Amino acid sequence: MNRFKKQIASYWQQTGTVIRNEFRTIFTDGGVMLILIFALLIYATVYSLAYGTQVLRNVPIGVVDECRTPTSRSLVEAFNSGPNTYVAYEPGSMEEARQLFYNREIYGVVYIPSNYERNLYGGEQADVAIYCDASYFLMYRQTFQELVTTIGNTGAMVEFQRLIAKGANLPQAQATVQPVIYQSHNLFNPYLGYGTFVMPAIIMVIIQQTMLIGIGMIGGTWREFGLYRKLCPPGRRQMSTLPIVLGRGLIYAIIYAVTCTYIFGLHYRLFHFPMNGAPWAVFIFISIYVVACIAMGIAVSTLFRYRENSLLLLLWTSIPVLMLSGVSFPREGFPEWLYAFGKIFPSSHGVNGFIRLQTMGATLPEVFAEIKWLIVLTVVYGGLACIGTHQAIRQEQRERNR
Amino acid sequence: MPGFVHNVCAVLEREWGRLTHQPMYFVLTVFLPVLSFAFFALLFNKGAIRDVPIAILDEDNTTLSRKIAQMIDDTPTAMVAYDIQDMTEGERLMREGKIMAIVQIPAFFEKSILSNSQTHIENYVSGTNITVNGLLSKDIQTAATTFSAGIQLQLLMKQGLTQHQAMAQLMPIRFDRHVLFNPLINYGYYLSPSFMPMMLMIFTVMVTIFAIGTEFKRATAREWLRTGGDSVAAALLGKLLPITAIMFLVSLVMLLINFKIVGTPLNGSLAVILIGTLLFILSYQSISVLIVSLLANLRLSLSIGGGYSVLAFTFSGLTFPIMAMWEPMQWVSRIFPFTFYTDIFVDQMLRGTPWVYSITDLLCMTLFIILPLLCLPRLKKVCTEEKFWGRL
Repeated sequence: MNRFKKQIASYWQQTGTVIRNEFRTIFTDGGVMLILIFALLIYATVYSLAYGTQVLRNVPIGVVDECRTPTSRSLVEAFNSGPNTYVAYEPGSMEEARQLFYNREIYGVVYIPSNYERNLYGGEQADVAIYCDASYFLMYRQTFQELVTTIGNTGAMVEFQRLIAKGANLPQAQATVQPVIYQSHNLFNPYLGYGTFVMPAIIMVIIQQTMLIGIGMIGGTWREFGLYRKLCPPGRRQMSTLPIVLGRGLIYAIIYAVTCTYIFGLHYRLFHFPMNGAPWAVFIFISIYVVACIAMGIAVSTLFRYRENSLLLLLWTSIPVLMLSGVSFPREGFPEWLYAFGKIFPSSHGVNGFIRLQTMGATLPEVFAEIKWLIVLTVVYGGLACIGTHQAIRQEQRERNR
Repeated sequence: MPGFVHNVCAVLEREWGRLTHQPMYFVLTVFLPVLSFAFFALLFNKGAIRDVPIAILDEDNTTLSRKIAQMIDDTPTAMVAYDIQDMTEGERLMREGKIMAIVQIPAFFEKSILSNSQTHIENYVSGTNITVNGLLSKDIQTAATTFSAGIQLQLLMKQGLTQHQAMAQLMPIRFDRHVLFNPLINYGYYLSPSFMPMMLMIFTVMVTIFAIGTEFKRATAREWLRTGGDSVAAALLGKLLPITAIMFLVSLVMLLINFKIVGTPLNGSLAVILIGTLLFILSYQSISVLIVSLLANLRLSLSIGGGYSVLAFTFSGLTFPIMAMWEPMQWVSRIFPFTFYTDIFVDQMLRGTPWVYSITDLLCMTLFIILPLLCLPRLKKVCTEEKFWGRL
């Protein structure tokens, strides 16, 4: 019993040493502070500013109007009055339009042939050609949608007038022109803002990546400075594993508690990102996520021999990890096994769960699948962190004995 | 001048030894870049997004309502995964992440159509993922419009019009749609040539800063400078050239993967792309030299350089166009050579723009190579003064 008590006391003492040392390591090291504390704040702000306008409006297009009649003018006016496009140029020929296009002055071209009015009023089909640039996706989407809708509406108007002229009554004409009204409603992000869509995922991934790189840097410090040996309390042969893992984890948890409070409390409000989740549910979810990230961070950090290695080797993973979470590129688009592989990162579950909680207002039971995964990952990476730390202690012991 | 060449060769020889003896160089210049290219090639292999699960709330349950449900299911993007009984169930499924959209077909749907009065279809699409939202909205709208047009056609033909007349009646304006440069709207064509250069850039920055920064960390900077005959230009050239050469070879692998495996079209000039890629590598090397000379600290330089390179993607305007950003953000977008490089590859790979239009972009990238070299005196100072060394 006495021995057990002694062990506990030693654990306490070691944990205290680790915490004090870790605190000093972080706050006296600009490089670590930059990544572990400021990177999250800087990136969240810069990205939010870049996506600050949220939507793309007024894409410049060109209209080649060979018809030059009031009817074709009114079609050009209709393109101009929509929110997403405006007619910046009316080039005289398609060749001229091509030049403008190569110069990045316009991103779409509409060609109205000279027989447009004649066909329209002669009861024939009038042809219009539209050319949309699909090399930028958002640009393509906005112009294409606007042009097609405008043409559709103008056509429906003509059809409606023809029916009325033939003597149909109003409801009949309406039902013939449009038997089924199609209405689309965008939920949770009504104006389809880009920031609202991508920022929750980016923030969650930044939390994980800064943690991996920052903790990895400190892991390198431990090895490079021989801290596993230096922090060993006098009278003990070597340090114990558990105090190191828990002590370090506690410090990171405190740091991220502060930065995350700012991000999800203030930053979110500043940039008007949706906050539909119950605050305590979001708090619990983020806490679980942060713990899983810390466990992974400590596990990975034991692999680094030098301080700069974590940055050299892990920075590039940020974009692939963001992709694997299935947000900017939907998971239906990539191979199943790659998606399954992505499950080893806390971010994949964190991103999905968090978006549903905070943007869609889901309840905790509705994100239970994600929470379960995060807990499993915490246990696995926590175990690996202990094994890795234990190995590091032994290796340093060997190096000293040599 | 012969002395200069001699000095550069001496540094090159020293550098060659370092490159072959430090495994980190191989990992950063060859192994990880190629691994990351492979990742993106696999990720975008399928290219198109298919069969996103949605739910249908059919309150009518008739032949016609089932027909439109079937038409929606038949579209490439949507897949009817759930037939739900009420909206609450649909909302729950959506919050659980199982579906992306709910299509509601109201009661009396068939009856209204048969009695020639207007009815409606409601589509509730989640806006949390605007890529999926865009594809789903478009496909479901197409299905609904096609269905609607079919009914109109029957109505008009019942009134005694021929099919040709009826078509002219229901669609007075017909449009030919030409999707330029990416007719299949393939995500891979567009995203993989942008993500792979991102990776190339990150590793170029990392390895350049690492190569110079370790000289400070391990206090070998003076030895490096002395090998170059105390000429900072010779020392720098000897240090950077091997990295430039390796990274350029790796970029050829990248282009090969892009064109041969991902299948990105090459509509423009390959020469411009190759020159652009070389300038791209050189400009980021030059910026890395600037960063590491100013900070004279390996780890801090890596943090700053890394942070700078990762930001480039957002500001390139590939996903969210620069045109849509706030004006100060539009200026910020010009401090990244990547912005100009993406213009080049969009022009030369996808659009097939004549090469003269890319000259401005090439010149802008050249500026990024020249300007940072003004910091050479500072680099010399850092290399000779011991107070800058051994910083961790």
